[in-house]
Formats: sequence, C-alpha cells, structure tokens
Amino acid sequence: MPKIIIDGREVECRAGISVLQAALEAGWDIPHYCYHPGLSVVASCRLCLMEMKMPHPQTGEVGWAPKLFPACQTPVKDGMEVRFDSPRVRASQAATLEYYLLNHPLDCPVCDKAGECCLQDYSERFGRPTSRMVEEKHKNPKKDIGPHTLLYQDRCVLCTRCVRFCDEIAGTGELRVVNRGSRAEIDVFPGLPLANELQGNVVDLCPVGALLSKDFLFRQRVWFLRSVRSVSPADSSGATIWIDCNSQGVHRVRPRFNPRVNQWWLSDEARFGWKYILRDDRLNEPRLRRGGVWEPIRWDELPEVLRYRFGRIATSDHGAGTAAVLSPMMSCEEAWLLARFVRGLAPQATLVRGYVPVRGTDKTFGTGFVIRAEKCPNRRGIERIIAHSGGNTLEFDEFIAAAGEGRFKAVYLVGGYPEEWIAKEHHKALAGVELLVVHDLFGSLLDELATVRIPAASFAEREGCFMNCDGLVQPFEQAIEPLEGVRSDGQFFYELVGGLPGADGLFRAAAVRAAMAAELPEFAEPYVPPDLPPHAH
Amino acid sequence: MPYERVLMRNVGVPNSTSLATYQASGGYAGAARALQMKPEELVELVKKANLRGRGGAGFPAGVKWSFLPPDRKVTYLCVNADESEPPTFSNRVLMEHDPHMLLEGVLIAGYATRTNVAYIYMRGEFTELFHIMQRAVDEAYAAGYFGRNILGSGYDLECYIHRGAGAYVCGEETGLIESLEGKRGWPRIKPPFPAVQGVFGQPTVVNNVETLACLPHILTRGLDWWLSLGTENSKGTKMYCISGPVNRPGCYEAPLGLSCRELIYSPEFGGGMRDGKKVKAVFPGGISMGVLRGDVFPRAADGSVDPSRDYDELDCRLDFDDVRRYDLLGLGTAAAVVVPEDADIRDVLVNVARFFAEESCGQCTQCREGTSWMYKIARRIRAGAGRPEDLDLLVEVTGNMGMMPGLSICGLPDGAAWPIRTLVQKFRAEFERHLAAQEPDAAARLIRQTNPAAWELPIWAGRRRPPTAGTMPELHRAGR
Repeated sequence: MPKIIIDGREVECRAGISVLQAALEAGWDIPHYCYHPGLSVVASCRLCLMEMKMPHPQTGEVGWAPKLFPACQTPVKDGMEVRFDSPRVRASQAATLEYYLLNHPLDCPVCDKAGECCLQDYSERFGRPTSRMVEEKHKNPKKDIGPHTLLYQDRCVLCTRCVRFCDEIAGTGELRVVNRGSRAEIDVFPGLPLANELQGNVVDLCPVGALLSKDFLFRQRVWFLRSVRSVSPADSSGATIWIDCNSQGVHRVRPRFNPRVNQWWLSDEARFGWKYILRDDRLNEPRLRRGGVWEPIRWDELPEVLRYRFGRIATSDHGAGTAAVLSPMMSCEEAWLLARFVRGLAPQATLVRGYVPVRGTDKTFGTGFVIRAEKCPNRRGIERIIAHSGGNTLEFDEFIAAAGEGRFKAVYLVGGYPEEWIAKEHHKALAGVELLVVHDLFGSLLDELATVRIPAASFAEREGCFMNCDGLVQPFEQAIEPLEGVRSDGQFFYELVGGLPGADGLFRAAAVRAAMAAELPEFAEPYVPPDLPPHAH
Repeated sequence: MPYERVLMRNVGVPNSTSLATYQASGGYAGAARALQMKPEELVELVKKANLRGRGGAGFPAGVKWSFLPPDRKVTYLCVNADESEPPTFSNRVLMEHDPHMLLEGVLIAGYATRTNVAYIYMRGEFTELFHIMQRAVDEAYAAGYFGRNILGSGYDLECYIHRGAGAYVCGEETGLIESLEGKRGWPRIKPPFPAVQGVFGQPTVVNNVETLACLPHILTRGLDWWLSLGTENSKGTKMYCISGPVNRPGCYEAPLGLSCRELIYSPEFGGGMRDGKKVKAVFPGGISMGVLRGDVFPRAADGSVDPSRDYDELDCRLDFDDVRRYDLLGLGTAAAVVVPEDADIRDVLVNVARFFAEESCGQCTQCREGTSWMYKIARRIRAGAGRPEDLDLLVEVTGNMGMMPGLSICGLPDGAAWPIRTLVQKFRAEFERHLAAQEPDAAARLIRQTNPAAWELPIWAGRRRPPTAGTMPELHRAGR
C-alpha cells in the first residue's frame, strides 16, 4: 500500500487510485466537479489543483514544483508529497470558483439543488463572497432534454459528467457539448432526447442544479428531507438506494453507493418505479368475509382468527390441504415468520415459492451495471427459507395446477407486487379453496374468493432484508409509517407466530434476523455497503 | 547580399505546385537520401540540427520523435496544417506555392518515425489549398513517393488529408488528434503524451508544416549549412509574416534571429510603415505571444532591456530565446502584426480579447470563463466606461487564468492571457489617459444599465454602501 504525504500528514492509500480519491477517502474536503470515481478522468474543472514536490529539472533538488497539478489526474506514488492547504492552491480555488459564478444566475431560491449543491458549498467554503463582474451575464438557455430531465444550462459548470455517463455507462451517448467558450452548452441531438434506461443518474451526477428531475421539480427543499437506507425492490439485483422522505411521505429515490451491486448508479425503473406506493386504490383495511359479506376486522383480532381457522383445517388432514405462498416481494424475515407459522400448524403443510415476475432478459451496461429481468427483490431469499423449512414445497405454477385439482383447502397467499398479477386461470384454480387469505397491496380478481383480505405495506413502510440474485443479503430500513389502516407485514406475521421467545411484542427486523441466523448462518451478517467519503459526490 | 531563399524558393515560380517544377529544383532528393539512411540515424541527424518546432512552442522535433516507444507496432504522423493563429500565413504560402516540399518532409519524417500512415490535418477554411494539396498528393502517389515500397526502399507510407471544421484549438496537438478521430476538438489531458498514446490510441507524432518542410533541405544541404544559420539555440531558416500598415506586408524568409525592426523597416521585408507613421505596438509572434512597444516610445539610452519601462522594444530578435527578455511568451509563429501610432490601444485590446473569447474551447473553467470576462471588460473600457481598477482586474484575471506554467489542459489560456496582460502592462499609461478622459460617471451608468444586480448589491466599489448585515463575510466574522 503506497504511503503519500498530504498537507504534511502521512496517508496510507490503495494502490492505483488518484491523489484526489486518496485525499477524499482520508477525509480531506477537496473541491471537485468533473472527477467522479465511476467515470473517466477529464481534469477539466481545474478545482482539485494541488502543489506537488518534484525534483528540480536541473539541480535535482526536491521542492514544490512551480506548476499546480490536478489531483484527479495524478496517480498516487509511494513517498510523494502534495499539499492542498497552501496559499497558492487556496488562491487558485477561489479564483476558479469566482469564474464559475460569473455567468451563473444565482437563482438558488428557486433551484431544486439548493442545499445539496456543490457550487453553493464550495463558493461558501473556498470562494469569494462577492463577484467582481459588473457586466451583463450570459444567459444560456433552459432546455427540456428528455422525458425525465430538464437542463438549466445557465447553471451548468460544464463538468461533462452527464456526457461521460451517457457515453461510458449507459452507452447511448445522447448528450454532447455544443458551441465553444462560455457559450458552450450541453445538448441532445435534434429528435433524440435523453431517454435511456439509466437517465435519472445524470441528475444525481450533476454537481449543480443544471440537470433537474421533472419528477422532483419544485417538490421539496432538500433540507426538509431525511435519507433512509433501503434496497430497491424493482428487480432482483439488490440495488441499494436512499429513500428521501419526510412526514409527507417519500419524495425521491436515489442510488446508494454499493461496490458489490449497483456502484453509484440506479436504473430508472427503480428510481421512478416506486410511485405505486402512492396509489389511492391501495388496500387499507383488513376484511373478513362472514356469510358472504365483507366485514372489517380489527388488526389485533386477526391473528387469533387466522390461527383458529387454519388450525381447524390443518388438524383435520395433518396439513395436507394447507399451503402458504411466499411472495418474492416479502423480506426474508417476513417469509421466515410466515413459514414458521405454517409449519407450526402442521408439518405436512406446503410452502410455495410465489409468482416471480420476469420481463425480458438481463441487460448489462458498461462497467457491469445490470438491470435484471426478474422484477422482484427476494426470490433467492424465499427459496432459501423454503429449502430450509423442508417438507412439501411447490413452485407457483405447480401450486396453481394442484389447487385446480382441489388439493388445498386453506391457502395463505402473499402478493405485494406493484402490478396486477392475478390472472383468470389463477382465479379459476383457487375457486375451490375453502379458506383463502390474500395479503396484498391492491385489490384483485381474488377478492371475490378470499375469506380474509389483509392490506400489505410497501417496501418503504417495512424493514427487513432481501437476498439478491447473487445471494447477497442486504438489509433495508423503514422510511415512512405505513399507510393509515395498514400494519407492517413483519409486525403482523410476528403477531401471527406469537412473537419470539423472550422478546416483546414489537417486530424488529434485526432481532428476527438474529433468531434466523441461528438456523441460517448467511443472515448473521447482512452486507451494508460502506458510506462514501463525506466529501465525495 | 540577399539571403538565398530555401523554403520559399518556388514562390513566384510559374506552375510551382507541380511535381515537375519541384523536381526541377532538386525536389525529393532529400527524401531519396533519407530512405538510404536508417531511421535512427535520421532522428539523430534532426536532433543534431536542433530543428525546433515551427508551430509556436519550439520543441525540438528530433527529441519529440525519440519519445516514441521503441517497441511500438503502429505509429501515426500528423501534420499540423491547422494554421489559425491570427496574423499568420506562412504555412499557407508554403502549401499554396510548394506543396511537394511539405510532402517530401512528410515522407522523411514518416520514414524517420517508422510511420506507415500520415495525416495532413488542414484548417477547414483552406478550401483552395486543400485542392492544391490533394492534387500534389495524387501526383506524389503516381510518382511513387507515397504508397508501397517507396523508391524501392521497402518502406510504405500512406498519406491522407483531413480537413478540420475551423477551430483555433484544433491546432493544439491533442485537440487536433481528437478532431482527427472525429470527436469534438477538445485537447486531451497529458500524460499520456501523443508520442505514447495519440491518434486512435497509438504512438503519434504531430509536426508543423514548416518544421517538416525544413527536413529536405537539412538532408540535401547538410547539417553544417543548417547550423550556420540562425542564432545560438535557434538554428535554421524561418518564414516570417508581417501584416498591418507596412509598405510590403507578406511572408518573407530569413535565418532565425531577424529583429523586429528589420522585419518592419528593411526594404527586403516590410519596407517601412505606410505614410511614414510610427509603430505603436507590434505583436511579433502571432497575437498570443504578447506585444512589444513600438518606436513611438524612446529607445533606452544604454540599450538595456527592461519590459517594465516604456522603451522602444523593436530590437527584439525573433528567435526562440531573445523574445523572453522582452516578456513575450515565445517566438510563436513569427508572424508580426503592426499597430500604427494612430490606432486606439483599446481597440487592440477588444480585438485580441474577442478572438480568444470566441476560440476558447470551453473545457477548462479558467479559460472558458476568463476569456469571456476579459472580453467583456475590454468592451466596456472601449465603450468609454472603464473604471480605474479595471486595469488591475484585467491583470489579475489573466493571472488567475494561469500563465506559464499553466493551470489548464492546453496552452490556449496562457496564450489568451499573455497578450492581454502585456498590453495592459506595457500600454498602461495610454489606458489611463483614456480612462481619465471619460465622462466621470460613465462606468456607473453603463453598469447600472447592463447589470442592475451589480448596481443594487454592494459588490463594487463604485457605489459605496456598507454591506448589509447577514452577508457572508459578516457571518464568517461572527464565527459561524
């Protein structure tokens, strides 16, 4: 591991990285715009310039070189000495930041980026408080460049991160720089809008408020938002995300750095696909059919009712007619609790791996980012728990076929999919089930067959862990309170199994996970990606 | 005795662009001789000749060639024919009148660098020249100077002409390479240098037209002849351009080390100023190298050189070293443009600033924003609304853009800042005279009109109002 000296302090760093990366990882706050660890280096923002000690070309004497070097472009070398905290570097930073603001409209009060804007932060920390330009500013135009993105060119610092992202990661190259000098603009080609499947990332990448998401436009000031660590349920890759939310609910989803899965990026379906949790036809009241009529039932009555009804059927045939369908939208904890409940009723009960939605094929982008075809987060986790539970197991199709033959009398069916997933043949097959419990986000064809209908909570309203398609277990936290009238699935299953021995009545994912880990060691230490260095962006 | 013209020997000769004319004056003899040598010997020869790049920076061509990795498989040679420095037209004269001299140079340089593909990157505006060059290339192919097994030596060289789209920055070698690859002409970060990773990621040499045109003569006339020309560190012959209100504007050839005064006043060259005017200023190396004071200023009594004092600087010798004593960035293209005594120095400032604001490629911040800011300040001063502090501000802006050693990817901001700084510093007295002659509140009125925010907010000293509480410096003082 090379050791370098930054501002007089020795720092040990990974080999092959740039001085800027090493300094950021060691906690230095070095202003930078164009550098991004996931993109190629262009060294054009000229903010991370540093002084470096070099041997004098004639005398060979080692001293500070007269030139300033871009830290992003200089690889670390054992024994090198650099400094950022020097009058020359500070003066260069201040001068460059002054240049950045020359033609900037200073419209922070109406800018969505305000509060998380690197131009604001750097100008305050490293820049000058006032501008010395008294002439008219250039007004570069505002543009609508794609279905999700607006470009406010007047705020742009021309770091070209977005251009490089579209070239190098998305591979579609929609964005280009046009014109020269201070009239240079980012633009799309006529008739070819920014519309790739990763386009939302350019908004995160933009260090200033030039690229804005139409989805988040004027929605919230960012300082009113709280960021919660979560995992995207949009596909089976297990992309880690931040859910930005407040008491009014979820406002946006951003990628959370994850070196083992999604790196810095997030697909659009994960970024924009969470809106189903806001749909107003979400179920919000548990109901029980009594004499053919839906009646509301209280949440705290429900476990007892289900235990009684399932128990009666299960004891009659030792569980041969009892089945639970575990949805791959469930967390591992929830699946484990439900499996425990069903196995507790009768050893012969059947556990079914729920419906796995698949769309198309896996799509791999540059540098290995993958959008998975499997549009559910936890198939592997469900399979692991079913395999661990032993006994009778079925795939979803086999279960539907068996149900059509009338093998099941009591079924606990968990859904939770963002889209309608019950087809007519499912309805037909399940028509003969005596006790059908449907636990889902939305109403479906099964409503007329169900004996009990339980509203589910969305991923943002739950906590737990998902096992992604590569077997990586990653926890996610609860961002918001469940919809009014809804109890989180984990809490409900926890009550259904009567809690864990020696614990109180509240479901806590970590505690359940610890109990699971006694049987399933892979859940002992779920993977939480390291947070990015505080000043990296 | 007039100097025997070498590079320009066929200028003015009828039908000079044809191969027959070129061969009649001994053309392609140098190439024939080169092909009998080993490439390494050629590189050594050019190193010994100390042939410094004629494009502006003056980097020795032989040294540049020796940076190529010895184990390379593919090498490319790019000819920089994107001559776009303002008063410069020597490459144009050369290609227009004697295209085969360049092609012979290409052949020699290609052989010395073991190149099989050479690209001539021509400035987009050179439409007629492109046709002349293309005809010459076709002729050379037909005569066996390009293609396979050239002159029976077993050496193959293909030569293509690529036309640029008209950008100053594409004359920078990595900007040229990007443009040649079909991309936006943004200079690349170095390292890796083109000698290691250039065109299409392969080792590449980029040489100027005139540099290559010198090669045939070094080979035919010999090293001793070459070394006998020029000054200590600047050897050989050079094409000088002179423009502006002189009697004989044009392109002239002379050994390196011609003085600026000779270039303007010698009857062989500029032939003196029109109407007997005096010289106020001269940009001796293309505008980006900075400005010299003309003979409207007195000569220093003791003949000393002190750029900080208002003396006549026309005795500056135009070679690679002497220019630095006069606070110039370098020799540049050795194309002088003369500003007569009756010109307004503010017009010169606006003109220079506009060019660089227009041509900055927009990649590095300092250059992108600095050039346009300088242009805006210059325009305001020209409009008679300058402030006394503007001159210092201009000098500071040029300093912040970075000058030698630069802060940016390429040298454009250095070349943009240098003439502005030298103009302001060397002609400060005249600027101050103009500022004093302005209407007293002209600056305030114009600023209020064009940038009301700058007027309303307490950001410039012209409107003195104490900063309101809550501005950032206040908060910082309060220990926030």
